[in-house]
Amino acid sequence: MSASGHGVEFTFDGQTIRGVEGQSVTGALHAAGQHVLSRSFKYHRPRGLLCGSGRCPNCLCTVDGTPNVRICTTDVQPGMQVKSQNRFPSLGFDVLGIFDWFHKMMPVGFYYKKFYKPRWMWPFWEKFIRRIAGLGEINQARGGEGHYEKLNLFTDVAVIGGGLAGLKAALEAAEAGASVVVIDDQKALGGHLRHDPTLKPTDFDALIAKVTSHANIEVYTSATAIGAYEENYIAVLQGKRLIRIRAAQAVFTGGAWERPLVFTRNDLPGVMLASAAQRLIHLDHVKISGPIVIVTDNAQGYRTAAQIVAAKGSIASLIDLRDAPPAADTDLVRSLSIPVQAGRTIVAAEGSKHVTGATVALKNGGERRTISCRWIVQAVGFTPAISLLYQSGCSFVHDDRLGHVTITKFAKDVHAAGAITGAHDPSRAAWEGRRAGLAAAIAARPGDESLNAKRASLESSAPPATAPGAAPAAAALTPETALHFVSPGGEKKKFVCYCEDVTQKDVFDAIDEGYSNIETLKRYSTISMGPCQGKMCQASSVALCALHNRQSIEATGVPTSRPPETPTPLGALAGRTPHFVLARRTPMHGWHERAGAKFMDAGNWKRPERYTSPEEEYKAVREAAGLIDVSTLGKLELRGRDVVPFLEQMYPNKYADLKEGRTRYGIVCDGGGIILDDGTISRLGPDRYFLTTTTGNADAIDSWFRWNLASKPEWDVTLANVSSNYAAMNLAGPKSREILRGLTTADISPSALPYLAVGQFDIVGVPAVVFRIGFVGELGYEIHVPAEHGLYVWEKIYQAGQSFGLKPFGVEAQRRLRLDKKHILVSIDTDALSNPLEADLGWIVKFDKSDFIGKRTLQQCQARGPQNRLVGFKMADDSNPPEASLVLHEGRLAGRVTSCRFSPAAGTHVGLAWVPVELGKDGTSFNITIDGIPHEAIVQDAPFYDPKGEKLRS
Amino acid sequence: MSFQIACPNCGVRPVWEFHYGGPVTSSAPPNPTERQWGAYLFDKPNICGEQHEWWVHRSACKTWFTAKRDTRTNTVLSTAMHGEG
Ligand code: FES
Ligand code: FES
Ligand SMILES: [Zn+2]
Repeated sequence: MSASGHGVEFTFDGQTIRGVEGQSVTGALHAAGQHVLSRSFKYHRPRGLLCGSGRCPNCLCTVDGTPNVRICTTDVQPGMQVKSQNRFPSLGFDVLGIFDWFHKMMPVGFYYKKFYKPRWMWPFWEKFIRRIAGLGEINQARGGEGHYEKLNLFTDVAVIGGGLAGLKAALEAAEAGASVVVIDDQKALGGHLRHDPTLKPTDFDALIAKVTSHANIEVYTSATAIGAYEENYIAVLQGKRLIRIRAAQAVFTGGAWERPLVFTRNDLPGVMLASAAQRLIHLDHVKISGPIVIVTDNAQGYRTAAQIVAAKGSIASLIDLRDAPPAADTDLVRSLSIPVQAGRTIVAAEGSKHVTGATVALKNGGERRTISCRWIVQAVGFTPAISLLYQSGCSFVHDDRLGHVTITKFAKDVHAAGAITGAHDPSRAAWEGRRAGLAAAIAARPGDESLNAKRASLESSAPPATAPGAAPAAAALTPETALHFVSPGGEKKKFVCYCEDVTQKDVFDAIDEGYSNIETLKRYSTISMGPCQGKMCQASSVALCALHNRQSIEATGVPTSRPPETPTPLGALAGRTPHFVLARRTPMHGWHERAGAKFMDAGNWKRPERYTSPEEEYKAVREAAGLIDVSTLGKLELRGRDVVPFLEQMYPNKYADLKEGRTRYGIVCDGGGIILDDGTISRLGPDRYFLTTTTGNADAIDSWFRWNLASKPEWDVTLANVSSNYAAMNLAGPKSREILRGLTTADISPSALPYLAVGQFDIVGVPAVVFRIGFVGELGYEIHVPAEHGLYVWEKIYQAGQSFGLKPFGVEAQRRLRLDKKHILVSIDTDALSNPLEADLGWIVKFDKSDFIGKRTLQQCQARGPQNRLVGFKMADDSNPPEASLVLHEGRLAGRVTSCRFSPAAGTHVGLAWVPVELGKDGTSFNITIDGIPHEAIVQDAPFYDPKGEKLRS
Repeated sequence: MSFQIACPNCGVRPVWEFHYGGPVTSSAPPNPTERQWGAYLFDKPNICGEQHEWWVHRSACKTWFTAKRDTRTNTVLSTAMHGEG
C-alpha cells in the first residue's frame, strides 16, 4: 500500500525527506526508514514511534524553531524544518547515550541524592544539568514564536472529544435546540474509528458530515482541552490560541488511551501501540515492512493483525496473554494463517537501536523463546481519558473487570459517554453519546416536554453496558488486565515512564525507600510528571505500586490530575487578550508629549516624570511658578444628610466643624489604625463634599468607602467617583497668584481666598474648583476643571505664566519639593505597619471624637507608647543614601530610609526614615548604611524649607 | 478558580470581575479586652462549608454585596445586598 497525493519535501535534521500531502511527519519518516525520532530525557536512549496520536514523549521535535512539537500529529508542509531534540551531537550517535551505561549511577531520586552536597559544586552541576537535561530549546529571539491569542466561547453544551460518542452527543444536543461546541485534539473528527475500519459503522462519514454542517454546532479540531475548572470553564489549546469555553453543560467523550506493556527494553524503536500501527496504515498510508509480533489481551490485537495482513504486512506471531482467547477474537484471523500463542507474554525486546526480536515466555516466565522480528505491536488495553472529568469534580472507582477506573459520581452539569466510561463497544458508545447529548440539552434549555418523551424512549432502548465476556469482541477486556501488563522477570530496562526514564526497578526501589504512597512515589520518582502527563505510564505505575505494596489497585488509588493536561506554552496563557491593562492618559497628555516630557508609570497612568531637568523645574517653583498635571488624583463627591457622620467615622480628624468653602487634610486608617491613604476633604456646599485620594489608591479608597457605606444601608450618603470627570493641575510658586489674577475676574486676594479655602469660579471662562493647598510648600492653587477643558485651561495658564518664568514640572521635581517640607507620600513613606501616631501625624488623631475607624487600636498604641517614628533627617556628609537603605544601631537593624533627595534649601541630602523612638528625637544622629559603610544622619523636626509655613500661607 | 457570581446589579459574571471582601462578621464587641479586640480585627473565620461573605463587583458596577458560598466547591448559593438576604 502506498500513499498517493502531492509530494511534499521537508527536512529532518537537515536531511531532505519526501512525504505526501496530508501525511503526518512521523508517517513520512517511517516510510523513509527514519525510525529513531528522539533521545530519551535522562539516559539519552533512542526512541521511536510509540503512540502515533500525540500522547507520549517519543516524537517531540523542534519544528521551524518551535520546540517540543509532536510530529506524529503534525502534517508535513513543504520546506518544513524538523529537528530532533535532546541529542548531542546527532540522533544516530549521541555521546550522552553513555548515561545508559551508567544506569547504576543514576538511581531513582538521582538529582535529590547526588547534587545537594557539597554546596559549592551546585553552580557547576546546575549548568551541566541544564545543558543535558532540557527538552528542546526556546527560541530566544524577541517575539520569537509570534503572537498567541485568546478566544472566548459561550455555549449551551461543550462536547470534549469528537469520536463516535461525542459526535452522537453533539448531534443530539444540537437537534434539541442547544448550541454546541465540539473540541477534538486530532486534525479530523472521528476518534479511533478514523483508523479502525473494522469497527467503523457504515453511516459514520455521514454522521461526521451532519455534525460539521449543523447550524447549531461549532467544531474545533487540533484543539486539546487542557483543563476543566469550576462551572464548566474549559481551557483548550489550539495551536497558538487559547480557547476558553464557558458551557452550561459539558459532555466528556475523550475516549481512552491505549497503554503499553512493561517488559525489558520496551522502549526500543520498533515497539509501538496497535493504534500507532493502525494510523500508519490507514491515515499515513505507509507500509510496515518486516516481520511483526503482536502482543494482546483483547480483540484490538486481532483486528490490528487482520488489518496489517490486509495492508500486506507480515505477522510473525500473535501472542495472547489469555489462556483461552474467545472464538470471537480468534475468528478474526482464522483464515489468515497467523500463528497464535495463547497464555504467553513478551518478556523482552531484543536489539540495541531497533527491535530485532521478541522474547516470548509463559506468564510465569518459563519457556522463553526469541522470535526474530522488526516490530512489536502491543494491544493490551485502554486507560480512559478521565483527567478532565476528575478536574471537574467527578469521583471514580477501579473496576477490576474492565481493568480501569469508572465514574461513580458525576459533578453537577457534567456528562460523559463512550470509552471514557468503559463503553468500548461502538453501539453502546453511540447510545451513551445520544443519551448524554439529550440530557445536556434538556438541562441547558429546560421546558421542552417532547424532549423528555424522547429521553424516556431512548432510555428503554439501551444496548448492554460493556461487560467482560458478554460484550462484543471489540470490547472484551479480561479480568486480569489490572495487573498482567507487567511481564515477569528483569526489572532494569523495563521502562514504566518513557518521559522521565523511570524503570520498574526505580519504582520498586522508591517504594522500598518508603515512597509507597502513589502520590509520594510520583513526586520522588517523577513518574507521570513528564510531557505526556502520565498518559503512557499512569496505569502501569499504579499497577506496579499495587504489586509491590501487595495491595489492590483500588486501595492504591490514582495520582491527582491537575491542569494543564498537556504541556502548554506560557505564551498561550500570557498571550494577547481582549482585556489589556489599559494605559491611562490625562487630558493634557498630548501637551506633555509635545513639551518633551519623559513619562513614568503611576499605576495604569502615564505621568510626566520631568520635562527638562528636575533641578530647573524645582528652581522655577521656588522662585517663580510651576505647573503640574495632577489629574490622576482620585476624586470622590459625597452628598446626603449623613455625610458628616460618615466622614467622622472614616477619618480620625473632625469634619462636623468644616465650613462651606474650606478644605482640610485627612488620612484614612483601617481598623488596625494603619494608614490607607491621605488626601483633602472639602465642603463645596451645605451637604456637598469633595474628596481627593492619592493616584495609586484611588480605586482602593473608592472601594473602601463603598464597603463601609454598604455595611450601613440606613445612611443617607451618595458617593460618586468623579475621578475622570475633572482634569486637575497645581499652579504653585510665589508668582502663582499674579498669574492666576490675569485669568479670572474672581477676587483671589489672600483675604478672599486664604490658605485652605476653596473657591468656585471661572478661569478663562471655564468653571473651576480651586483649592488653596500646597503640597510643594509654596503659595499654590489646585485647579479642577471639567476634563474636556483641561488642556485649554492648562495652555492658558502656561501662556500667561511665560512672562513670570513659569515652567511645567514633573513628578521628580514634585518629590524633591515636598521632601523639603517633610510631606509624606502614603505607600512610599508608609507601609502596611504604619499608623499615624508613629508616622508623625499624631496631631491629626482626635481621640476626643466619639468613634472613628482605627480609634480603638490607636488608643492602645498610644497607651503602650509608639515604638518607631518616621523622622526627617539630613545627611552630615555629602552622601546620598538610596531609598530602602538600612539604619543600623549598635550593630542591629533598626530602621530604613523611605525617601531621600538633595535639598538646595538644606544644602545637603534630606529624607524620611523609620527609626526607633529613641533615635527619633530632634537633633539625634543615627547611622545609615550605604554599601556597608555607615554615614551620619541628623534628625530634624522642622521642615527643611520655610519651617514656619509662611510661603504656603502667603 | 472559574466559578460565577450573580451580582445583584449586573447578573451572573465570572469570578475574576469581583474582589473578595472577607467573611461577614458581627460588629465589634463592646468594651473589648486587647485580646478580644485583636481577635475581632484579625482572626477571621474560614469556614469549611457554607460561608456568608462580602464581594464587590470591582470591574463593573462597584457594588458591594454579600454572598453565601460553599467553600468546598466554590458554589455560590445566593447573593443579596447587605441586610436584604
Ligand atoms: S509518537 Fe507522537 S506523541 Fe507518541
Ligand atoms: S510516560 Fe509520560 S509521564 Fe510517564
Ligand atoms: Zn455588578
